Amino acid sequence: MRTPLIDRRDFLKASGAAFAASLAPAAWAKTLDADAVFATAYQRRDGSYGAAVLSEAGKLLHQVDLPDRGHDVTFDPVSGRSVVFARQPGTFFVAFDHTGKAEPQTIASLPDRHFFGHGVFSPDGALLYATENDFDNAAGMVGIYDARDGFRRLGEFPTHGVGPHELLLLDDGRTLAIANGGIETHPDFGRAEMNLSTMKPSLVFVDRVSGDLIESHELPPTLHQLSIRHMDTDATGAVWFGCQHRGPATETPSLVGKAERGKELQLLDMPEDVLGGFRNYIGSVAANRDAGTVAVSSPQGNTFAVFEAASGRIVSDQSLREVCGLAPDHAGFRATTGTGEILDPAGGTVEEADYVWDNHLLRIG
Amino acid sequence: MFRVLVAAAFFVLGQSAAYAAELDAPKIVGKVIDGFVRPAYHGFHQATSQLSTDVKALCSAPSGAALATARKAFGGTVDAWSKAEIIRFGPVTEQNRLDRILFWPDRKSIGLKQVQAAIQSKDETAADPAQLAAKSVAMQGLGALEFVLFGTDADTLAGTDGAYRCSFGASIAINLDTMASELEQAWNAPDGFAGTWAKPGANNPLYRNNDEAVGELFDVFVTGLEMDRDVRLGGFLGKMTAAEDKPKQALFWRSEKTVDSVAGNLAGMKALFEISGLGDALSDEMRWIENSINFEFANAARAAAGSEGPLTEVLADPQRRGRLSYFSVVTSSLSELFGKRLAGELGLTSGFSSLDGD
Repeated sequence: MRTPLIDRRDFLKASGAAFAASLAPAAWAKTLDADAVFATAYQRRDGSYGAAVLSEAGKLLHQVDLPDRGHDVTFDPVSGRSVVFARQPGTFFVAFDHTGKAEPQTIASLPDRHFFGHGVFSPDGALLYATENDFDNAAGMVGIYDARDGFRRLGEFPTHGVGPHELLLLDDGRTLAIANGGIETHPDFGRAEMNLSTMKPSLVFVDRVSGDLIESHELPPTLHQLSIRHMDTDATGAVWFGCQHRGPATETPSLVGKAERGKELQLLDMPEDVLGGFRNYIGSVAANRDAGTVAVSSPQGNTFAVFEAASGRIVSDQSLREVCGLAPDHAGFRATTGTGEILDPAGGTVEEADYVWDNHLLRIG
Repeated sequence: MFRVLVAAAFFVLGQSAAYAAELDAPKIVGKVIDGFVRPAYHGFHQATSQLSTDVKALCSAPSGAALATARKAFGGTVDAWSKAEIIRFGPVTEQNRLDRILFWPDRKSIGLKQVQAAIQSKDETAADPAQLAAKSVAMQGLGALEFVLFGTDADTLAGTDGAYRCSFGASIAINLDTMASELEQAWNAPDGFAGTWAKPGANNPLYRNNDEAVGELFDVFVTGLEMDRDVRLGGFLGKMTAAEDKPKQALFWRSEKTVDSVAGNLAGMKALFEISGLGDALSDEMRWIENSINFEFANAARAAAGSEGPLTEVLADPQRRGRLSYFSVVTSSLSELFGKRLAGELGLTSGFSSLDGD
C-alpha cells in the first residue's frame, strides 16, 4: 500500500544534508510532523489515486496509494493519524500515519453500506464517524468505528435524511452537524440520482453519544432541489453550508447559507455576478476563524469567493481553473485545483508535476 | 468502469487551454442545434403524436391488431426518445420533464405500484391528462405507459374489459405528447434556450465563454456514455458473471426495448458527434481520434444489433450476452476517447460531469 515518501532533494536543500543524514528515524518523524500542514486526496497523471500530506510550501511529505478515487481526509491530532475516505459510492477508508510510525490500514464498509467520502474523529481520537448509505433503504447513516481497535465497526445511527455528505463535529465536542444532500443513489445504478423531483435535503444536528436527533433544518419547499453538501463552522460556532442546485440551470438560487441551533436556516444573498460564477455548484466550504471569513469554491464555475462571516460581504472573488480544495491559511485561504495547482493566500502557486488535487484540502497542523 | 472515465477525465485537466480559444462555439453549437437537437425533439414529438393517436384508436375500437399498433408506436416513441434524451440540459430540465417523461431507475417500483393502484381503483383523475401531469412523476411517462401496454393483464386492452386501462394509457400518451410539443417549441424559439446556448459571452447568464458552451456539448458524451454503461447496462448486467444478472432491473424489459434504447443513445451520440464537426477541429496528426471514435461507434452498433431479443433470452445466451458486455466495454473506450483524448486535444475540461457531483 504505502509508497515512500518525500522529495528528499527538497528536504536536503531546506535543512542541510549533514543535518538530515544525522537524523535518527524518530527525529526524522518529528521533522515530518512539524512540517505537515495540509492533507488531501489526489490523482496522479497516470490515473492512479492516493492521499498526500503537504508542507506549508506545498511539498509532498508523505503519500499513500488508494485502490480507487478518494475524497475528503480527516485528522486525529491525538494519534497523529489521518483517514482518507473513498469517494461515493466507495467502499473503503484508509487510516495512515504521515510520520510513518505505522502501516496504513484499509477498512471496508459493510456489504450493505457505502461511504460518502467524509468523516470525523471524536475529540479524544477514540471514535471515527463516517457518513454512509444504507442504500437498500435509501437511508443516511453515520457509521461508528473504534479507532483504538483497528477501526472495528461499533454501530451506527441514522442521519434522518437521504444521501448524507459532509459531517462536522461542533465545538462542544458532542454535536455532529450532518448535511443530508437529499439525493437517493444506489450502487446498482452507478451515480444515477433517482429522486430529483422529490428530493428533500436537510441539515441536522445529532448527539454523537446518544445518536439522538437534536434539530433538523430544511429549506423551504421551493428550494427542495438545493442539495446541502459541504460545511464549516466559523468562530461563533455557526455552521456555513454550500449547496449544489439540481433544478434547471436557468434557476439561480442562493448556494450558501448559515445554520445555527434554534434558528431558521439563513441563505446568503450574493451579488448576481458572484453567484452566477458558481454555475449552481459549490464544491467545498472553509472558514478562517481568525480572519472571520468563509471561502466557497466552484470547480464547475472555475471560481472561488471569500466573504466576511459577520456581514456576508464579499471580500474577494477569484477565477481559478478547476478550483475546489480550500483550507484556512494565515489571514486567507489556500486553494487546490484539479489541474494540480496549489495557490497560497499571497497569490503564489506551486505544482507537484505528477499530481492533480481532489475536491478537499484539510489543515492538519 | 466509471472510474476509468473519471481517471480519463481527470487527466485532461492539466492540459493547456490554448486550443479552446480557437473553437468557434457559436458555429459548433449552431450546427448541433439545427442538425441534431431540433430534429431529435421534432422526431420525438412526431412519435408521441403517433402514439397518442394509436392509443386513442385502441380505446375507441379495441382489438388485437389495434393493440399491436399501439405497442409498435410505443417502440417508436422509445426509439425517438433514445436519441433526444442524451440532451439532458435546457428545456427538458424545466418542470421536472426529464423525470416525467422517463422516471428511471425506479428501484422501489413506485411507478409500478401507482399504476397498478390507478388501474385497480379506476382512478378517473389519472385518465385526465391535465390532472395526470400534476401527479407523481413515476406514473405519467414512458415507464408507466410500458406497464399499461405490456404489463400483467395488458392483453385486456384488446377487449372492452380494458377500457379504463386504455383511457389511462391514452392519458399518459397525451401527456407525453404535450411535453414533446413543449420541448420542440422551446428549442425552436429563436430567443429561447437555443439562443442562449449558441451565443456565449460575458453577459450570458449560463455560458460565459466558448469553453462553457462547448463544454455543455462535451458533457453530453461524457455523461451519456457513463449513464449507458453504469446505469442502463450496469443496472442489470452482472459485473463478473451471468449469475449476477438482474433482467427485471433493466429499463424497458417488458417491451423488449432495453438494447434498442442504449443503442439509440449511442446512435444519437454518433450523429451528434458528426454534426458538431468537433473532429474537424483536430489537427491532421490527431485525426486518428475521430477515426477511433467512429470505429467504436460502429462496434457498438454491431454489438447491439447482435443482441436482439427478449432480455432474459439474451442473457441466457452466452453469445448474445457477450455482445452486450462488449457493448459496455466499447462505451468505456469511447469515454476514454472523448473524456481524455478529444477533450485534451481541444483543451476542454470535462472532469466534473453532471453525474459526477460530489
